Amino acid sequence: MVEKNKNIKTWETIARISIAFALLISVLLIVNYVQYKTMDPVESELILGLVQRLNENPEDAQLRDEIRALDLLSRKAYFTKQWQVRTGGYLLLMSIVLLVIVKQMQLNNNGKQVDLSEREDGFENQKKTRLWVSVSGGVIVVIALAFAFLNHQDLGENLNQAIAQKMEVKPTQETQKTPVPHETIIETPNDNNQTPPKEEIAIVEEVQEEAKNENIAEETKPEPNQKAIGKKEEIVKQEEQVKEEPSKVVAEVVKEEKSTAKNFPTEAELKANYNAFRGFGSNGIDFHKNIPTKWDAGTGENILWKLEIPIHGYNSPIIWGDKLFLSGANANKREVYCIDRNTGKLIWTYDVSAVPGSPEKSPKVTDDTGLAAPSLTTNGNLVFALFGNGDLVALDLSGKKVWDKNLGATNNHYGHSSSLVVHEEVLIVQYDIKRNPKLLGLNISNGEEIYKTPRKVKVSWASPVLVNTGSKMEVILAADPIIASYNPKTGVENWQVDCIFGEVGPSVAYGDGIVFGVNEYAKLVAIKLGEIAEILWEDDELLSDVPSPIVKDGLMYLATSYGVVACYDAVSGEKYWENEFDNGFYGSPIYSDGNIFLMDMGGILHVFKAGKEFQSIASNPLGEDGMTSPAFMDGRIYIRGNKHLICVGK
Amino acid sequence: MFKVYRNIDFFDCPFPKGSKKDYSTSLGIRQCFQRILPLGSGQKFFEKLIREISLVLLTLKSRLCFSRLKPRLIPLILVLFLSIFSFDASAQRFPKPEFESGFEQEAHQLTLPRSDFMEYFDVFVLLVAMSLITWLILKKRSRKGVFWMSIFSILYFGFYREGCVCSVGSLQNIALALFNPGYKIPLTVLAFFLIPLVYALFFGRTFCAGVCPLGAIQDIFAWKPLQLKPWLQKMLGLIPFIYLGLAVLYAATATDFVICRYDPFVGFYRINAEFTMIVLGGLFLLTSIFIARPYCRFICPYGVLLNWMSRFSKYHMTITPNECIQCKLCENSCPFGAIEIPEVSVPKEPKKKSVRRFVSLALIIPALAILGAWTGAQFHENLAMVHPKVKLAEEVFIINENGGFDENNTENETLEIDAYRRSGQAAEELYAEAEIILKQFYTGGIWLGGFLGLVFGFTLAGLSLFRYREDYEPNKGECLSCARCMDYCPVEKEITVKN
Repeated sequence: MVEKNKNIKTWETIARISIAFALLISVLLIVNYVQYKTMDPVESELILGLVQRLNENPEDAQLRDEIRALDLLSRKAYFTKQWQVRTGGYLLLMSIVLLVIVKQMQLNNNGKQVDLSEREDGFENQKKTRLWVSVSGGVIVVIALAFAFLNHQDLGENLNQAIAQKMEVKPTQETQKTPVPHETIIETPNDNNQTPPKEEIAIVEEVQEEAKNENIAEETKPEPNQKAIGKKEEIVKQEEQVKEEPSKVVAEVVKEEKSTAKNFPTEAELKANYNAFRGFGSNGIDFHKNIPTKWDAGTGENILWKLEIPIHGYNSPIIWGDKLFLSGANANKREVYCIDRNTGKLIWTYDVSAVPGSPEKSPKVTDDTGLAAPSLTTNGNLVFALFGNGDLVALDLSGKKVWDKNLGATNNHYGHSSSLVVHEEVLIVQYDIKRNPKLLGLNISNGEEIYKTPRKVKVSWASPVLVNTGSKMEVILAADPIIASYNPKTGVENWQVDCIFGEVGPSVAYGDGIVFGVNEYAKLVAIKLGEIAEILWEDDELLSDVPSPIVKDGLMYLATSYGVVACYDAVSGEKYWENEFDNGFYGSPIYSDGNIFLMDMGGILHVFKAGKEFQSIASNPLGEDGMTSPAFMDGRIYIRGNKHLICVGK
Repeated sequence: MFKVYRNIDFFDCPFPKGSKKDYSTSLGIRQCFQRILPLGSGQKFFEKLIREISLVLLTLKSRLCFSRLKPRLIPLILVLFLSIFSFDASAQRFPKPEFESGFEQEAHQLTLPRSDFMEYFDVFVLLVAMSLITWLILKKRSRKGVFWMSIFSILYFGFYREGCVCSVGSLQNIALALFNPGYKIPLTVLAFFLIPLVYALFFGRTFCAGVCPLGAIQDIFAWKPLQLKPWLQKMLGLIPFIYLGLAVLYAATATDFVICRYDPFVGFYRINAEFTMIVLGGLFLLTSIFIARPYCRFICPYGVLLNWMSRFSKYHMTITPNECIQCKLCENSCPFGAIEIPEVSVPKEPKKKSVRRFVSLALIIPALAILGAWTGAQFHENLAMVHPKVKLAEEVFIINENGGFDENNTENETLEIDAYRRSGQAAEELYAEAEIILKQFYTGGIWLGGFLGLVFGFTLAGLSLFRYREDYEPNKGECLSCARCMDYCPVEKEITVKN
């Protein structure tokens, strides 16, 4: 019995100590928490005052040291408080656990405490309970009604009226534009407040286009336009359709006419050159032969020339004929370079400046994106370059400006990186920026908008891919939450599949009637095109953050930012192999001459055989870091490192 | 596949951080694994399995050792174990980001994703725990067993599983799935919702006794429970119905999972909560010392469903294992006031009067339901303001009424308005979306009010009934099957008569 009493006393003492300790810790925690919350080491008044003094007297080294010491002290104090709150929390938790254990021991030792006091009479209880339940129910109803009537705004009705008002305003505004399906706004180049009769649009535009094209054609090499002969007859036929259908048909007709009336490069010409990021159609497949597979920038083996690029940029080289184009930009300067790809000599540099509407200050971007991430594109007559501040410039191949404009601030975190593609008379710009993301189709001759298709997507860093899917040309874009296809001439959406999310960096790949999209933290998805676009298979094991996939001969190749490369069966999704490299990849793989070329972040261009088994051919060091994709032409490879452009050839 | 491990700090990654999108968080860990455990791609499943099993073993290790250790060491181990858990759970690889705008990242409502195998393992653990505690209560009649089950639940469903999935919150998933065909409810969530209800239907609220981590943590604080006045208990007992109605309404309209958001104890289990929620949880635990399980009795919406099920339970626990000897020892033993005392005395009012009151109250029920429905309809705008889209639409509407956005003066804008303005969404589009939601709330308000009217009506009608009862019995609906009363009963299970 004595032993038991002694135990009870011991437990009681421990319980009291635990309670006191827990209370003490709680008080200290609250005090500490309040101090921690009100403390801001970055905005300390004392330091700000001293900084102000330093600004007035920048040479005062002693004051600078004093500020640094104070700043360090203030930060230390902040993090110490943070540590104290955390540690205090654990101590409190432990003391409570101890208290719980002690109390349970006490309850066990004390045994059952029998309470024999009489309960209240059941009948009286029920009576009282009925009363209180009724009162509480009544109070709830009164409070709810009071709130309902006091806060009543008739919000639903107000919103309804606001919608109705907007709807009334809209039609009058839209009469000034040409309505098109799928929210696509097609704005004619001569768009002004007075819309000419619909039938006249085609003819007026055509005359303007012809006049402009004549200027361009003088500097380039014009080819006889065989299709232009029957043009007028076709217009008459189209006019009949126009009378039957609304003006959207007119827009289609206008563009159909323009496309047939101009000197556009043929598919063979495009394949013989390397006119965009990831080559023909930006799809990652190159068509050149005799491409070297081994070289060493250190020893100079198979290196034909090396050129230092004046301003850094992450865009990949593009080529037309003997000319190779690049761009570079920093916060103050934006430049386009034309290089003789045979000699490595800089032919001309165009300084992009005084662009109408260009912001005074370049947007803040991260170092791994920069202000010149979008690759250029060319149609053999003009070369187009887009920069991170929204500046877009069209130059002829001799470096003369044809037009320039600013597309509006990008304000994307990281920066803007979607590359350009050109299709016939339309320069296609995926402008999935923070505010009003859209697909732009610009007239290559004057930069005017042919269409502007609003997109309900988040910011995307992917680039448009232009492919012939059998019966028609499609431009396919990837951005959270959709992979979507558009008519490259009109911007009208063909299809969309809701299947991707996150900060989409990789562009899509197309091959064998299947579109592949991928993004880190989302999934790898294969979309079968047909009457409807539908998901064929999907996987989430290996996902790419930046590099785009490619498809060739029924095999899909995927590189990831963490250094794993895999090959899948395009139709079934079966993985044939995966191989891990030492460095991660930001550059996209390119297929050329039976091999895959892929540059890692360490500047090593890996070459491996395209096929169902992994077979490494070579890993060629560039001698510097690099994140771009190579360009191929006439048995040579052109690789952009962080500092140099290197030509590899035999 | 590896994303589930993003924030788990198993190893220090030897790789440098990439500059874009936390390159090292998801990717470095994978590389770490491949360096440390040089496994091929075909062995990834085992890689995952081994790690999950090691976690479970870590959890169970201490429990397995309990039986071999001296009782005095148990508290020490518990403290150690909880401390390790606390430190481990709180070890975040990266601190929360700080935003210049002042936005504060909220405490997470969901736990990290879990592999399918572990999700099913959780269901298995729940099934075993339910079976074990039911056996301990009904067959062994062991209060100690229930207590140790509570400790297990606190450790496993609480600290290890961070209180999610919990059966209490799962009813919101059910509501969301019922009203949103696009939402596919996970099977494990469905299992967590149904299993305790099925057990309650047959055996009473054994889930509440010691498997629910929310109940268990309060139960171990019930040191000096006071008996509440029955009328007060009954009145407070109506709050869970209101909470249930609101939780279902907000889940069905995809507004929010309010039960999870305002779960006072989950912050302890995750060592991560808003300061106010920690304070609220602390207050609940302090209250638990004097008013046993305040959350379970006066807040928990899932308890309403368990209460309904338990009323039909055929094998509910009994206070006495044999015939009641009317010793009255157990009369005030229940800290939850869930023991019904014998009612054998003559009624205090004429039977005719009782019957008339009962009939009139029964007739009032539809009127109360209509009154409630009307009140709910009137109140629907206030209810809908919780929905972020409606709130935003209202703010945008007011701004537009006052002349529209001032692009040059955006300093005083709320984060929501700023985000909306940058999104470029047309106002009419936002209004149209908000209007649809308002209509949903109008209908929901009618149902909610009607439901609460019925609850009050039936409660009042029920309070006019007198049940003839000879023995001390647990109130099947309100009894939490904690087995405390059993300890008070002096009657043996089998009476052996000595000659």
